[in-house]
Amino acid sequence: MGLLTILKKMKQKEREVRLLMLGLDNAGKTTILKKFNGEDIDTISPTLGFNIKTLEHRNFKLNIWDVGGQKSLRSYWRNYFESTDGLIWVVDSADRLRLEDCKRELSTLLLEERLSGATLLVFANKQDLPGALSSDAIKEALDLDNIKTHHWCIRDCSAVTGKNLLIGIDWLLDDISCRIFTAD
Amino acid sequence: MVLAGSTTKVTTTTTVATATSGCALNRLKSRRNPEPQKDELRLTTEEELLQRDFITPVNVLGLQRVTENYLCRPEDNVFDIDFIRFKIRDMETGTVLFEIAKPSSSETEEQDEEENGEVDSSAGRFVRYQFTPAFLKLRTVGATVEFTVGEKPINNFRMIERHYFREQLLKSFDFDFGFCIPNSKNTCEHIYEFPQLSEDTITEMVETPYDTRSDSFYFVDNKLIMHNKADYAYNGGQ
Repeated sequence: MGLLTILKKMKQKEREVRLLMLGLDNAGKTTILKKFNGEDIDTISPTLGFNIKTLEHRNFKLNIWDVGGQKSLRSYWRNYFESTDGLIWVVDSADRLRLEDCKRELSTLLLEERLSGATLLVFANKQDLPGALSSDAIKEALDLDNIKTHHWCIRDCSAVTGKNLLIGIDWLLDDISCRIFTAD
Repeated sequence: MVLAGSTTKVTTTTTVATATSGCALNRLKSRRNPEPQKDELRLTTEEELLQRDFITPVNVLGLQRVTENYLCRPEDNVFDIDFIRFKIRDMETGTVLFEIAKPSSSETEEQDEEENGEVDSSAGRFVRYQFTPAFLKLRTVGATVEFTVGEKPINNFRMIERHYFREQLLKSFDFDFGFCIPNSKNTCEHIYEFPQLSEDTITEMVETPYDTRSDSFYFVDNKLIMHNKADYAYNGGQ
């Protein structure tokens, strides 16, 4: 099958992508979701369940799931793994005290069978805060270089200013579409 | 997507949406629920469905028109699912066109007492919406619902919403929420292109208020547990 045929096929097909956004509580998941969709971010309270957005972006039909990160909710995360194409792991780069927690939760997720086919995007969020660690420091703290099971990428970002949100999501979509939509 | 009609309050309005609520027309649907092909769909009638012990998604997808009755009872909502907010925004201008929220449960209880226990089977299940004609010209909108869930976890929560103008199906909308955490509060915003209607249809919809109607069906584990209705006028401000 020629490249042109593949491209045509991709266009015809409805390209639905499911993204799951997780991270510790107060990492900024909901703020990222809202900022990305041009919504007001002045009044955001802790997520005690999920927030879903469905939208069209670059001809993809995106379903983005943001699930609350409080400790009591983390045991429910597994209910949202099914069919996930991309995992967005959000880190509060200024929360140095909980980086170890953050690393542990992420490595647990990466062992999950149902997430084995997902691309990983790590957002080193809250770069607008003084004292925020750089994405390189977060990469090191989370030991990302040792991930061999997933395609991954880390981006520093700020949900408040919107910096790098689009770039990160677009990288994720590029990786997913290379893996999935040209495969058949 | 319907909020309790008798207990809603308008928190914002604009010139586009002048009254109490809105419709969520949407062509997005979940991959886990591929729309049945035409030949798989068994066409059915409301009369036929009313004979059944319970109703499934495939059943309502086979309906040809808006229903006259409710296809389940209020008490079938054994999971205490409660829709508490509805918001719609115009994505092109970023404007919130309207937002309605259900008062907190303590306020609702007070109201119930004042009403002396009058029972209306459609209370909380029907909403009448009023828009201006400009609403039908919107291009991209974001429709948000917020709902709470009771003490029991829900494994498979699914919504099917069907909008009709008279006999014409304008939009069928099917979304799988999947699992819902017990005692959770959840939101879902669908951002979508508004269906493109012909000028003739728009004129007719404006001229015949409330001939545009919708059914919202909610399923848990493929069994109908909530059924809400709405009708719509687009002649506001005229």
